[in-house]
Amino acid sequence: MTAKLLKKEFALCLHPTCILFLLFSAFVFIPNYPYEVMFFFSGLSVFFVCLTGRENGDLTFSCTLPVRKQDVAVARVLFCNILQVALLVLAGLMTAIKECCLPEAAQVNMAGTTANLAFLGYGAILLGAFNLIFFPMYFKNSARVGIPFVVAAAVQFVIIALLVVLRFASPAYAEIFCAPDNYFAVEKAAVFIVGIVFYAGATIFSAYLSARIFKKTDL
Amino acid sequence: MTALDVKNLTKRYPSFTLDDVSFTLETGKICGLVGANGAGKSTTLKGIMGLIPTEGEVEIFGIPASSPEAKPLVGYAGGGFRFYAQKKVKTLGRVVSTFYPKWSDEIFYGKLKLFGIDAEKKISTLSEGMKVKLSLALALSHGARLLILDEPTSDLDPVSREELCDTLSDLVQTDGVSVLFSTHITSDLSRLADGVVLLANGKVVVRERLETLLQTYSLAEFPSRETAQGLGVKRVGNVFRSLVSRGFVRQGVQVREPSLDEIIVHLEYERRAEK
Repeated sequence: MTAKLLKKEFALCLHPTCILFLLFSAFVFIPNYPYEVMFFFSGLSVFFVCLTGRENGDLTFSCTLPVRKQDVAVARVLFCNILQVALLVLAGLMTAIKECCLPEAAQVNMAGTTANLAFLGYGAILLGAFNLIFFPMYFKNSARVGIPFVVAAAVQFVIIALLVVLRFASPAYAEIFCAPDNYFAVEKAAVFIVGIVFYAGATIFSAYLSARIFKKTDL
Repeated sequence: MTALDVKNLTKRYPSFTLDDVSFTLETGKICGLVGANGAGKSTTLKGIMGLIPTEGEVEIFGIPASSPEAKPLVGYAGGGFRFYAQKKVKTLGRVVSTFYPKWSDEIFYGKLKLFGIDAEKKISTLSEGMKVKLSLALALSHGARLLILDEPTSDLDPVSREELCDTLSDLVQTDGVSVLFSTHITSDLSRLADGVVLLANGKVVVRERLETLLQTYSLAEFPSRETAQGLGVKRVGNVFRSLVSRGFVRQGVQVREPSLDEIIVHLEYERRAEK
Protein backbone atom coordinates (compact mmCIF):
# COMPACT_ATOMS: atom_id res chain seq x y z
CA MET A 1 0.00 0.00 0.00
CA THR A 2 2.96 2.29 0.70
CA ALA A 3 4.07 1.84 -2.93
CA LYS A 4 0.66 3.02 -4.13
CA LEU A 5 0.79 6.01 -1.81
CA LEU A 6 4.28 6.82 -3.07
CA LYS A 7 2.98 6.71 -6.62
CA LYS A 8 0.22 9.10 -5.55
CA GLU A 9 2.82 11.41 -3.96
CA PHE A 10 4.80 11.58 -7.21
CA ALA A 11 1.72 11.99 -9.41
CA LEU A 12 -0.20 14.52 -7.31
CA CYS A 13 2.12 16.09 -4.74
CA LEU A 14 5.49 16.61 -6.45
CA HIS A 15 6.16 20.35 -6.45
CA PRO A 16 8.26 21.72 -9.35
CA THR A 17 10.81 23.10 -6.88
CA CYS A 18 11.61 19.54 -5.79
CA ILE A 19 13.28 18.94 -9.17
CA LEU A 20 14.69 22.46 -9.43
CA PHE A 21 16.33 22.28 -6.01
CA LEU A 22 17.90 18.91 -6.84
CA LEU A 23 19.88 20.79 -9.49
CA PHE A 24 21.34 22.91 -6.68
CA SER A 25 23.67 19.97 -6.09
CA ALA A 26 25.75 21.70 -8.78
CA PHE A 27 26.47 24.44 -6.21
CA VAL A 28 29.68 22.55 -5.43
CA PHE A 29 31.16 24.01 -8.61
CA ILE A 30 30.77 27.57 -7.31
CA PRO A 31 34.14 28.69 -5.94
CA ASN A 32 34.16 29.57 -2.23
CA TYR A 33 30.48 29.17 -1.39
CA PRO A 34 28.63 27.72 1.62
CA TYR A 35 27.61 24.52 -0.15
CA GLU A 36 25.50 23.37 2.82
CA VAL A 37 22.68 25.71 1.76
CA MET A 38 21.65 23.16 -0.86
CA PHE A 39 20.35 21.06 2.06
CA PHE A 40 18.32 24.02 3.28
CA PHE A 41 16.74 24.25 -0.17
CA SER A 42 15.90 20.56 0.05
CA GLY A 43 13.92 21.35 3.20
CA LEU A 44 12.29 24.24 1.37
CA SER A 45 11.04 21.89 -1.34
CA VAL A 46 9.57 19.61 1.36
CA PHE A 47 7.86 22.70 2.77
CA PHE A 48 6.39 23.50 -0.66
CA VAL A 49 5.14 19.92 -1.03
CA CYS A 50 3.37 20.15 2.32
CA LEU A 51 2.09 23.67 1.69
CA THR A 52 0.50 22.81 -1.67
CA GLY A 53 -0.70 19.59 -0.07
CA ARG A 54 -2.56 21.66 2.48
CA GLU A 55 -4.13 23.83 -0.25
CA ASN A 56 -5.16 20.70 -2.15
CA GLY A 57 -6.63 18.95 0.89
CA ASP A 58 -4.11 16.19 0.21
CA LEU A 59 -3.93 14.55 3.63
CA THR A 60 -7.71 14.40 3.98
CA PHE A 61 -8.06 13.01 0.47
CA SER A 62 -5.36 10.42 1.11
CA CYS A 63 -7.02 9.32 4.35
CA THR A 64 -10.29 8.63 2.53
CA LEU A 65 -8.46 6.13 0.32
CA PRO A 66 -8.40 2.51 1.52
CA VAL A 67 -5.20 2.95 3.52
CA ARG A 68 -4.37 3.28 7.19
CA LYS A 69 -4.01 6.86 8.40
CA GLN A 70 -0.48 6.19 9.63
CA ASP A 71 0.56 4.86 6.19
CA VAL A 72 -0.22 8.29 4.74
CA ALA A 73 2.33 9.87 7.10
CA VAL A 74 4.97 7.22 6.42
CA ALA A 75 4.51 7.60 2.65
CA ARG A 76 5.00 11.37 2.86
CA VAL A 77 8.22 10.96 4.86
CA LEU A 78 9.41 8.28 2.44
CA PHE A 79 8.60 10.46 -0.55
CA CYS A 80 10.68 13.32 0.84
CA ASN A 81 13.31 10.77 1.82
CA ILE A 82 13.65 9.74 -1.85
CA LEU A 83 14.16 13.38 -2.86
CA GLN A 84 16.78 13.83 -0.14
CA VAL A 85 18.69 10.69 -1.10
CA ALA A 86 18.58 11.84 -4.72
CA LEU A 87 20.12 15.16 -3.61
CA LEU A 88 22.85 13.36 -1.65
CA VAL A 89 23.63 11.10 -4.60
CA LEU A 90 23.71 14.05 -7.01
CA ALA A 91 25.87 16.07 -4.62
CA GLY A 92 28.22 13.08 -4.36
CA LEU A 93 28.34 12.79 -8.12
CA MET A 94 29.04 16.50 -8.57
CA THR A 95 31.73 16.33 -5.86
CA ALA A 96 33.38 13.38 -7.61
CA ILE A 97 33.30 15.19 -10.95
CA LYS A 98 34.75 18.32 -9.33
CA GLU A 99 37.54 16.30 -7.70
CA CYS A 100 38.36 14.66 -11.02
CA CYS A 101 38.27 17.79 -13.12
CA LEU A 102 39.62 20.62 -10.99
CA PRO A 103 43.12 21.05 -9.55
CA GLU A 104 43.39 20.53 -5.80
CA ALA A 105 43.80 24.22 -5.07
CA ALA A 106 40.51 24.99 -6.78
CA GLN A 107 38.74 22.28 -4.82
CA VAL A 108 39.32 23.88 -1.43
CA ASN A 109 36.41 26.02 -0.26
CA MET A 110 37.56 29.22 1.44
CA ALA A 111 34.01 30.13 2.50
CA GLY A 112 33.11 26.96 4.37
CA THR A 113 33.28 23.19 4.11
CA THR A 114 35.04 21.84 1.04
CA ALA A 115 32.96 19.54 -1.15
CA ASN A 116 34.27 16.14 -0.06
CA LEU A 117 33.10 13.00 1.74
CA ALA A 118 32.82 14.82 5.07
CA PHE A 119 30.65 17.47 3.41
CA LEU A 120 28.26 14.73 2.25
CA GLY A 121 28.19 13.39 5.80
CA TYR A 122 27.32 16.85 7.11
CA GLY A 123 24.64 17.09 4.44
CA ALA A 124 23.14 13.83 5.65
CA ILE A 125 23.17 15.16 9.23
CA LEU A 126 21.45 18.38 8.10
CA LEU A 127 18.76 16.43 6.26
CA GLY A 128 18.29 14.00 9.15
CA ALA A 129 17.93 16.89 11.61
CA PHE A 130 15.35 18.48 9.32
CA ASN A 131 13.33 15.26 9.15
CA LEU A 132 13.49 14.70 12.88
CA ILE A 133 12.05 18.14 13.61
CA PHE A 134 9.82 18.94 10.65
CA PHE A 135 7.66 15.85 10.12
CA PRO A 136 6.47 15.12 13.68
CA MET A 137 5.57 18.81 14.10
CA TYR A 138 3.87 18.93 10.70
CA PHE A 139 1.77 15.83 11.31
CA LYS A 140 0.65 17.16 14.68
CA ASN A 141 -1.06 20.06 12.91
CA SER A 142 -0.80 19.91 9.13
CA ALA A 143 -2.61 23.24 8.77
CA ARG A 144 0.43 25.02 10.22
CA VAL A 145 3.19 24.08 7.81
CA GLY A 146 5.25 27.22 8.34
CA ILE A 147 6.18 26.76 11.99
CA PRO A 148 7.74 23.28 11.61
CA PHE A 149 9.70 24.55 8.62
CA VAL A 150 11.00 27.64 10.42
CA VAL A 151 12.07 25.57 13.44
CA ALA A 152 13.72 22.85 11.32
CA ALA A 153 15.44 25.40 9.06
CA ALA A 154 16.67 27.33 12.11
CA VAL A 155 18.30 24.18 13.48
CA GLN A 156 19.86 23.56 10.06
CA PHE A 157 21.32 27.08 10.03
CA VAL A 158 22.74 26.62 13.53
CA ILE A 159 24.52 23.45 12.36
CA ILE A 160 25.73 25.19 9.19
CA ALA A 161 26.99 28.15 11.24
CA LEU A 162 28.80 25.76 13.57
CA LEU A 163 30.54 24.10 10.61
CA VAL A 164 31.58 27.46 9.15
CA VAL A 165 32.88 28.66 12.54
CA LEU A 166 34.82 25.42 13.00
CA ARG A 167 36.33 25.86 9.54
CA PHE A 168 37.91 29.14 10.59
CA ALA A 169 38.29 28.68 14.35
CA SER A 170 40.10 25.35 14.28
CA PRO A 171 43.06 24.99 11.88
CA ALA A 172 43.30 21.27 12.72
CA TYR A 173 39.66 20.74 11.79
CA ALA A 174 40.10 22.73 8.58
CA GLU A 175 43.21 20.77 7.66
CA ILE A 176 41.51 17.41 8.09
CA PHE A 177 37.90 17.98 7.02
CA CYS A 178 38.18 20.82 4.54
CA ALA A 179 40.90 19.28 2.46
CA PRO A 180 40.17 17.37 -0.77
CA ASP A 181 39.39 13.66 -0.38
CA ASN A 182 42.96 12.64 -1.21
CA TYR A 183 43.97 13.76 2.28
CA PHE A 184 42.65 12.34 5.58
CA ALA A 185 40.29 10.11 3.65
CA VAL A 186 39.64 7.82 6.64
CA GLU A 187 38.57 10.70 8.89
CA LYS A 188 36.29 12.09 6.22
CA ALA A 189 34.86 8.65 5.47
CA ALA A 190 34.11 8.30 9.19
CA VAL A 191 32.17 11.57 9.15
CA PHE A 192 30.34 10.39 6.03
CA ILE A 193 29.37 7.09 7.68
CA VAL A 194 28.28 8.83 10.88
CA GLY A 195 26.20 11.23 8.78
CA ILE A 196 24.50 8.44 6.84
CA VAL A 197 23.79 6.45 10.01
CA PHE A 198 22.38 9.57 11.69
CA TYR A 199 20.27 10.35 8.65
CA ALA A 200 18.85 6.83 8.47
CA GLY A 201 18.15 6.70 12.20
CA ALA A 202 16.63 10.18 12.36
CA THR A 203 14.44 9.56 9.32
CA ILE A 204 13.18 6.18 10.54
CA PHE A 205 12.44 7.63 13.97
CA SER A 206 10.77 10.64 12.37
CA ALA A 207 8.54 8.37 10.24
CA TYR A 208 7.64 6.28 13.29
CA LEU A 209 6.85 9.35 15.38
CA SER A 210 4.93 11.02 12.55
CA ALA A 211 2.76 7.93 12.03
CA ARG A 212 1.94 7.73 15.74
CA ILE A 213 1.14 11.43 15.96
CA PHE A 214 -0.86 11.54 12.74
CA LYS A 215 -3.03 8.60 13.81
CA LYS A 216 -4.31 10.73 16.69
CA THR A 217 -4.55 13.99 14.71
CA ASP A 218 -7.86 15.56 13.71
CA LEU A 219 -8.21 16.37 10.03
CA MET B 1 -29.87 -4.18 5.01
CA THR B 2 -28.23 -1.41 6.98
CA ALA B 3 -25.75 0.61 4.92
CA LEU B 4 -24.50 2.64 7.84
CA ASP B 5 -24.83 2.05 11.55
CA VAL B 6 -23.47 4.75 13.83
CA LYS B 7 -23.46 3.90 17.53
CA ASN B 8 -22.57 6.33 20.30
CA LEU B 9 -20.16 8.36 18.20
CA THR B 10 -18.45 10.76 20.57
CA LYS B 11 -15.73 13.33 20.04
CA ARG B 12 -14.57 15.70 22.73
CA TYR B 13 -12.99 19.07 21.99
CA PRO B 14 -12.19 21.65 24.66
CA SER B 15 -15.18 23.77 23.64
CA PHE B 16 -17.46 21.28 21.91
CA THR B 17 -18.54 17.68 22.34
CA LEU B 18 -20.13 15.47 19.75
CA ASP B 19 -22.20 13.55 22.23
CA ASP B 20 -23.32 9.96 21.73
CA VAL B 21 -24.52 10.35 18.16
CA SER B 22 -26.38 7.25 16.95
CA PHE B 23 -28.39 6.64 13.80
CA THR B 24 -28.74 4.17 10.95
CA LEU B 25 -29.12 4.47 7.21
CA GLU B 26 -30.83 1.72 5.26
CA THR B 27 -29.56 0.54 1.89
CA GLY B 28 -30.85 2.54 -1.07
CA LYS B 29 -31.99 5.45 1.09
CA ILE B 30 -30.91 9.07 1.38
CA CYS B 31 -30.44 10.58 4.80
CA GLY B 32 -29.87 14.25 5.48
CA LEU B 33 -27.76 15.38 8.38
CA VAL B 34 -28.94 18.83 9.35
CA GLY B 35 -28.26 21.37 12.03
CA ALA B 36 -27.07 24.91 12.58
CA ASN B 37 -23.46 25.91 11.93
CA GLY B 38 -21.28 24.26 14.55
CA ALA B 39 -23.90 21.64 15.42
CA GLY B 40 -21.46 18.83 14.65
CA LYS B 41 -22.41 17.76 11.12
CA SER B 42 -18.90 17.77 9.67
CA THR B 43 -17.47 16.27 12.87
CA THR B 44 -19.96 13.41 12.57
CA LEU B 45 -19.05 12.75 8.95
CA LYS B 46 -15.32 12.97 9.67
CA GLY B 47 -15.79 10.60 12.59
CA ILE B 48 -17.56 8.11 10.33
CA MET B 49 -14.72 8.37 7.81
CA GLY B 50 -12.06 7.96 10.50
CA LEU B 51 -10.53 11.35 9.70
CA ILE B 52 -10.69 12.19 13.39
CA PRO B 53 -10.22 9.76 16.26
CA THR B 54 -13.55 9.20 18.02
CA GLU B 55 -15.22 6.97 20.57
CA GLY B 56 -18.13 4.75 19.55
CA GLU B 57 -18.75 2.32 16.74
CA VAL B 58 -19.36 2.77 13.04
CA GLU B 59 -20.32 -0.11 10.77
CA ILE B 60 -20.60 0.07 7.01
CA PHE B 61 -22.69 -2.75 5.56
CA GLY B 62 -22.00 -4.65 8.76
CA ILE B 63 -18.22 -4.18 8.55
CA PRO B 64 -16.39 -2.01 11.11
CA ALA B 65 -15.58 1.27 9.34
CA SER B 66 -11.95 1.09 10.46
CA SER B 67 -11.32 -2.20 8.65
CA PRO B 68 -9.67 -2.08 5.19
CA GLU B 69 -12.66 -3.92 3.67
CA ALA B 70 -15.05 -1.11 4.58
CA LYS B 71 -13.35 1.85 2.91
CA PRO B 72 -13.80 0.73 -0.72
CA LEU B 73 -17.54 0.60 -0.03
CA VAL B 74 -17.59 4.31 0.77
CA GLY B 75 -17.20 7.40 -1.37
CA TYR B 76 -16.52 10.59 0.55
CA ALA B 77 -16.54 14.16 -0.60
CA GLY B 78 -15.67 16.77 2.00
CA GLY B 79 -16.61 20.41 1.97
CA GLY B 80 -14.89 22.58 -0.61
CA PHE B 81 -13.93 19.84 -3.07
CA ARG B 82 -10.53 21.43 -3.59
CA PHE B 83 -8.51 18.32 -4.28
CA TYR B 84 -5.51 18.83 -6.58
CA ALA B 85 -6.82 21.83 -8.49
CA GLN B 86 -3.90 21.91 -10.93
CA LYS B 87 -4.14 18.25 -11.92
CA LYS B 88 -6.15 16.86 -14.78
CA VAL B 89 -9.30 14.88 -14.11
CA LYS B 90 -7.84 11.80 -15.79
CA THR B 91 -4.66 12.03 -13.68
CA LEU B 92 -6.69 11.97 -10.49
CA GLY B 93 -8.71 9.04 -11.83
CA ARG B 94 -5.56 7.13 -12.77
CA VAL B 95 -4.02 7.62 -9.32
CA VAL B 96 -7.18 6.74 -7.42
CA SER B 97 -7.74 3.64 -9.56
CA THR B 98 -4.54 2.01 -8.24
CA PHE B 99 -6.00 1.81 -4.73
CA TYR B 100 -9.13 -0.12 -5.65
CA PRO B 101 -9.13 -3.67 -7.03
CA LYS B 102 -12.70 -3.23 -8.27
CA TRP B 103 -12.00 0.04 -10.09
CA SER B 104 -13.68 0.30 -13.50
CA ASP B 105 -12.35 2.73 -16.10
CA GLU B 106 -15.50 2.04 -18.06
CA ILE B 107 -17.68 3.30 -15.22
CA PHE B 108 -15.36 6.25 -14.53
CA TYR B 109 -15.30 7.57 -18.08
CA GLY B 110 -18.95 6.66 -18.51
CA LYS B 111 -19.94 8.74 -15.49
CA LEU B 112 -17.67 11.61 -16.60
CA LYS B 113 -19.46 11.60 -19.94
CA LEU B 114 -22.84 11.42 -18.22
CA PHE B 115 -21.95 14.37 -15.98
CA GLY B 116 -20.41 16.35 -18.85
CA ILE B 117 -16.89 16.40 -17.38
CA ASP B 118 -13.93 16.54 -19.77
CA ALA B 119 -11.22 14.16 -18.49
CA GLU B 120 -8.52 16.32 -20.09
CA LYS B 121 -9.51 19.40 -18.09
CA LYS B 122 -7.75 20.60 -14.99
CA ILE B 123 -9.83 20.23 -11.84
CA SER B 124 -9.51 23.97 -11.17
CA THR B 125 -11.47 24.70 -14.35
CA LEU B 126 -14.49 22.69 -13.20
CA SER B 127 -17.44 24.43 -11.62
CA GLU B 128 -18.24 23.61 -7.99
CA GLY B 129 -21.12 21.41 -9.12
CA MET B 130 -18.84 19.54 -11.52
CA LYS B 131 -16.30 18.99 -8.74
CA VAL B 132 -18.95 17.33 -6.61
CA LYS B 133 -19.96 15.20 -9.58
CA LEU B 134 -16.31 14.26 -10.11
CA SER B 135 -16.24 13.03 -6.51
CA LEU B 136 -19.33 10.96 -7.28
CA ALA B 137 -17.75 9.56 -10.46
CA LEU B 138 -14.62 8.55 -8.51
CA ALA B 139 -16.69 6.90 -5.79
CA LEU B 140 -18.92 4.97 -8.17
CA SER B 141 -15.95 3.79 -10.24
CA HIS B 142 -14.46 1.94 -7.28
CA GLY B 143 -17.78 0.36 -6.45
CA ALA B 144 -18.79 2.55 -3.50
CA ARG B 145 -22.22 1.61 -2.18
CA LEU B 146 -22.43 4.40 0.35
CA LEU B 147 -21.82 8.06 -0.47
CA ILE B 148 -20.95 10.41 2.38
CA LEU B 149 -21.12 14.03 1.30
CA ASP B 150 -20.32 17.01 3.46
CA GLU B 151 -22.48 19.94 2.35
CA PRO B 152 -22.35 19.03 -1.34
CA THR B 153 -24.80 21.74 -2.35
CA SER B 154 -23.66 24.63 -0.20
CA ASP B 155 -21.46 26.37 -2.83
CA LEU B 156 -23.81 25.77 -5.72
CA ASP B 157 -26.18 28.09 -7.54
CA PRO B 158 -29.85 27.01 -7.63
CA VAL B 159 -29.60 25.41 -11.08
CA SER B 160 -26.46 23.43 -10.21
CA ARG B 161 -28.07 22.42 -6.92
CA GLU B 162 -31.11 21.13 -8.73
CA GLU B 163 -28.90 19.20 -11.16
CA LEU B 164 -26.91 17.65 -8.34
CA CYS B 165 -30.08 16.65 -6.50
CA ASP B 166 -31.30 15.00 -9.72
CA THR B 167 -27.98 13.21 -10.06
CA LEU B 168 -28.06 11.90 -6.49
CA SER B 169 -31.64 10.84 -6.89
CA ASP B 170 -30.81 9.00 -10.13
CA LEU B 171 -27.83 7.28 -8.54
CA VAL B 172 -30.01 5.92 -5.77
CA GLN B 173 -32.56 4.72 -8.33
CA THR B 174 -30.18 3.28 -10.92
CA ASP B 175 -27.08 2.28 -8.95
CA GLY B 176 -28.78 1.45 -5.66
CA VAL B 177 -26.34 3.48 -3.59
CA SER B 178 -27.13 4.91 -0.17
CA VAL B 179 -26.38 8.55 0.59
CA LEU B 180 -25.67 10.42 3.79
CA PHE B 181 -25.24 14.12 3.25
CA SER B 182 -24.98 17.08 5.53
CA THR B 183 -26.66 20.31 4.59
CA HIS B 184 -28.31 23.38 5.95
CA ILE B 185 -30.32 23.88 2.79
CA THR B 186 -33.50 22.15 3.81
CA SER B 187 -35.14 22.44 0.41
CA ASP B 188 -32.59 19.85 -0.78
CA LEU B 189 -33.64 17.61 2.07
CA SER B 190 -37.32 17.95 1.28
CA ARG B 191 -36.54 17.12 -2.31
CA LEU B 192 -34.23 14.17 -1.72
CA ALA B 193 -34.11 12.67 1.72
CA ASP B 194 -35.94 9.68 3.08
CA GLY B 195 -34.73 10.36 6.58
CA VAL B 196 -33.43 13.24 8.66
CA VAL B 197 -30.98 13.40 11.52
CA LEU B 198 -31.11 16.78 13.22
CA LEU B 199 -28.08 17.72 15.28
CA ALA B 200 -27.96 20.55 17.78
CA ASN B 201 -24.91 21.36 19.84
CA GLY B 202 -23.38 17.95 19.17
CA LYS B 203 -26.47 15.93 20.07
CA VAL B 204 -29.08 14.16 17.99
CA VAL B 205 -32.34 16.05 18.50
CA VAL B 206 -34.41 14.32 15.86
CA ARG B 207 -33.82 11.03 14.06
CA GLU B 208 -36.83 10.35 11.94
CA ARG B 209 -38.21 9.46 8.54
CA LEU B 210 -38.84 12.74 6.74
CA GLU B 211 -42.45 11.87 6.03
CA THR B 212 -43.09 11.00 9.68
CA LEU B 213 -41.37 14.16 10.89
CA LEU B 214 -43.49 16.34 8.62
CA GLN B 215 -46.66 14.58 9.81
CA THR B 216 -45.78 14.85 13.50
CA TYR B 217 -46.17 18.59 13.87
CA SER B 218 -48.39 21.49 12.91
CA LEU B 219 -47.44 25.15 13.02
CA ALA B 220 -49.70 27.24 15.23
CA GLU B 221 -49.95 31.02 15.33
CA PHE B 222 -51.00 32.41 18.71
CA PRO B 223 -52.06 36.03 19.23
CA SER B 224 -49.97 36.50 22.40
CA ARG B 225 -47.04 34.91 24.24
CA GLU B 226 -49.27 34.15 27.24
CA THR B 227 -51.62 32.03 25.19
CA ALA B 228 -48.86 30.39 23.12
CA GLN B 229 -48.03 26.78 23.76
CA GLY B 230 -46.06 24.05 22.02
CA LEU B 231 -42.42 23.80 21.07
CA GLY B 232 -40.08 26.67 20.32
CA VAL B 233 -42.40 29.64 20.74
CA LYS B 234 -41.10 32.45 18.56
CA ARG B 235 -42.42 35.90 17.70
CA VAL B 236 -42.99 36.45 13.99
CA GLY B 237 -44.51 39.85 13.23
CA ASN B 238 -47.59 40.26 15.43
CA VAL B 239 -48.06 36.58 16.20
CA PHE B 240 -46.27 33.90 18.20
CA ARG B 241 -45.52 30.74 16.31
CA SER B 242 -44.78 27.33 17.75
CA LEU B 243 -44.84 23.68 16.81
CA VAL B 244 -47.82 21.79 18.12
CA SER B 245 -48.92 18.19 17.73
CA ARG B 246 -50.74 17.29 14.57
CA GLY B 247 -54.49 17.61 15.22
CA PHE B 248 -54.16 20.56 17.57
CA VAL B 249 -57.24 22.76 17.45
CA ARG B 250 -58.03 25.89 19.42
CA GLN B 251 -60.38 28.74 18.70
CA GLY B 252 -58.62 31.85 17.45
CA VAL B 253 -55.42 29.96 16.67
CA GLN B 254 -54.44 29.41 13.07
CA VAL B 255 -52.87 26.03 12.38
CA ARG B 256 -51.13 24.91 9.20
CA GLU B 257 -48.58 22.38 7.97
CA PRO B 258 -45.02 23.48 8.72
CA SER B 259 -42.12 23.34 6.29
CA LEU B 260 -39.05 21.32 7.24
CA ASP B 261 -37.22 24.59 7.78
CA GLU B 262 -39.84 25.71 10.28
CA ILE B 263 -39.73 22.41 12.16
CA ILE B 264 -35.94 22.63 12.46
CA VAL B 265 -36.02 26.27 13.56
CA HIS B 266 -38.68 25.72 16.23
CA LEU B 267 -37.01 22.58 17.57
CA GLU B 268 -33.77 24.56 17.85
CA TYR B 269 -35.59 27.38 19.70
CA GLU B 270 -37.13 24.85 22.05
CA ARG B 271 -33.73 23.35 22.78
CA ARG B 272 -32.27 26.78 23.51
CA ALA B 273 -35.20 27.66 25.78
CA GLU B 274 -34.71 24.43 27.74
CA LYS B 275 -31.03 25.25 28.09
